[in-house]
Amino acid sequence: MNLWFGFLVGLKEIWSHKFRSFLTMLGIILGVASLLSMFSLTAGMANGMRQYMQQVGGIERVGVIPQEPPTDQEGFAEISPGRTIADAEAIARSATLVSAVTPISELAAATVSFGSQYFRTPAYGVWPDYVPINSHEISRGRSLTWLDVESAQNVCVIGQRVTQRLWPDRPRFNPVGESILINGRPFKVVGEFTFYETEWDRRQRELSTKSAAPARTKRPTKGSSSSGRGYSAFERKNSTVILPITAMFYNFKMANVVKNEDQGPQLKLDALTIQVADIARFDQALEQVRTILEATHRGIEDFTFDTRQEWFDSIEQGIRNTRLSGGIIAGISLLVGGIGITNIMLASITERIREIGVRRAVGAKGRDIFIQILVESAVIGLIGGFLGLIASFGIMRILVLISPTENAPVLQWENVILSFSFAVIIGLLSGIYPALKASKLDPIEALRYG
Amino acid sequence: MPIIELTDVFKRYRVGEQEIVALNGINLSIDQGEYAAIIGPSGSGKSTLMHLLGCLDTPTSGRVLIQGNDVSTADANRLSEMRNSHIGFVFQSFNLLPKLSVLQNVELPMIYAGVSSRERRERALASIERVGLADRAGNTPLQLSGGQMQRVAIARALVNSPRIIFADEPTGNLDSKTGAAILALFRELSQQGSTIVLVTHDDKIAAQTPRRIEIKDGRIVQDFFNPDADLPGTARPLTPQPTPTS
Ligand SMILES: Nc1ncnc2c1ncn2[C@@H]1O[C@H](COP(=O)(O)OP(=O)(O)OP(=O)(O)O)[C@@H](O)[C@H]1O
Ligand SMILES: [Mg+2]
Repeated sequence: MNLWFGFLVGLKEIWSHKFRSFLTMLGIILGVASLLSMFSLTAGMANGMRQYMQQVGGIERVGVIPQEPPTDQEGFAEISPGRTIADAEAIARSATLVSAVTPISELAAATVSFGSQYFRTPAYGVWPDYVPINSHEISRGRSLTWLDVESAQNVCVIGQRVTQRLWPDRPRFNPVGESILINGRPFKVVGEFTFYETEWDRRQRELSTKSAAPARTKRPTKGSSSSGRGYSAFERKNSTVILPITAMFYNFKMANVVKNEDQGPQLKLDALTIQVADIARFDQALEQVRTILEATHRGIEDFTFDTRQEWFDSIEQGIRNTRLSGGIIAGISLLVGGIGITNIMLASITERIREIGVRRAVGAKGRDIFIQILVESAVIGLIGGFLGLIASFGIMRILVLISPTENAPVLQWENVILSFSFAVIIGLLSGIYPALKASKLDPIEALRYG
Repeated sequence: MPIIELTDVFKRYRVGEQEIVALNGINLSIDQGEYAAIIGPSGSGKSTLMHLLGCLDTPTSGRVLIQGNDVSTADANRLSEMRNSHIGFVFQSFNLLPKLSVLQNVELPMIYAGVSSRERRERALASIERVGLADRAGNTPLQLSGGQMQRVAIARALVNSPRIIFADEPTGNLDSKTGAAILALFRELSQQGSTIVLVTHDDKIAAQTPRRIEIKDGRIVQDFFNPDADLPGTARPLTPQPTPTS
């Protein structure tokens, strides 16, 4: 008996018990649907995360952050100047394994304004290397230069969200050359960053501008400090304002009034970021920087490194965990589906003992009966798997609507094939026991049965 | 040349402590082209004997030769092959598969013989025509009368051109008129050269076959040729039976 014939016999058997077969398949359908949806969800999450990780500067980006000095240095820790421009200069001069470095002095909530429009966003005083380290790209105008830094020019480069806020009535306005106020000080805009968004955001935006082309999308209300729309991974990045760190010092950090008393110039850095030249020599690069900074900090270990390795690892781990737990849930439901198939096949065999006897009498071998039952349960798995795929396409459409945009599920063909094969394999496995039982029936007893 | 040869065949069943001797030393030889009836009271071992002859079962001891093949020690797969190619069964309760059409029921033995679908169809139709049901090939068994169902079963038994056809009480579920028609069909097949062994407990039926083998308590007690039956079959003395064990 060939397999194709067994397949047809199986189909016929399933069709003659449509409702029962459907109930049997339900477990498989749910299992496949949840498996594939879960695969697609985690694929979407992973996608969103990786894009985000790319955009914020990869693993090469390392922050130098302060830490409590060790206890044996506590008494004289004040001899360290902390993080200063000198650190950045020393690293730039001596750290051969570091490709870029920038000191950062920030205004956590600067008021950026033009005319009557204003926008509250952080502003960073930086070196030009800030741009490549943070994977920024210039779309219009120019980036900051060393000349700007050395001569402490009042110039700035702004993100497109800033432009949109300051010139809300003028879509795609070119801000280069305009003079804006940062905390009341005039700065000339010399460049503008590209607009950062996820693949998904871009597609959605293109779709909505196509469908509602003439009607302008709702304008954000004047002066709102955060975006009008939902959270986006790149909202912060698009709201960036950078200026030469020297200009930052001269304009905003020369006096620091605390409790009505001027504390003098505040020239310590808020952040110090480096970019490791070669990931393969990551640890050596950090060692190099540590040696340099121990000199500039007079031996006080009041700094450490904030690598993203752990962060990225934990993201990857999180994705893996989600996938695993989702997989376990889907697996359980597939298992339950499989048990259902076994159960129904056993019932179906009992119903057909006489038939099996007849088939044996006319020459079917035990093996033929085995294949017939196995094919039947595989066909249940096959159809259940197919219906499960359809169901999960439906589920995905709903998930797309309700999940955060950058984590929108991504349907990958290998996952479709994987989920489907799972269903067929479960169908096959759950048929083995009933098939074995059927093939072991004694022909004479089977003929006499009923 | 005998197509069936049984020597000192015993079949014992063990039910708990008790041993049931279903066949108690059978010697039997049936020739190609014979038409024989096995007759005996209920529980005498007729069906058990037929299962051995039909390769559905193997004896506890003794030798069963079918077409020169020793099947007393054959494994299950070999028995299946023997049944498929050498033997056709007709049962009292027809044993057709209700979900399949007449045509598909008759095709069944050929499926396990690996016959191509086109040839299957041709041969099945020819076989159905032979039993006079050409116009019912597309029906399902449940749409047929008992006599018609038994004809389908006979068509199925014939379709692989077997050496022997075994029929266990083939008229048991039919009224006497329909039963007579089925017996007439067997007679016709016999005249066309088929070897047929019929199991019955009805003397009237056994009287119509050229050879009558009577068994009782698992032993052959009589084996003779009907002088009245105008059918082929050579006169031959009763096969000597071994002494029974007890
Ligand atoms: N599988 C079995 N297990 C135990 N005993 C059995 C089995 N099969 C048959 N027997 C016994 O063997 C004996 C012969 O049975 P068999 O079915 O051959 O009788 P029979 O002549 O066909 O009777 P009937 O005319 O009622 O069909 C009976 O006593 C029966 O109980
Ligand atoms: Mg019987």
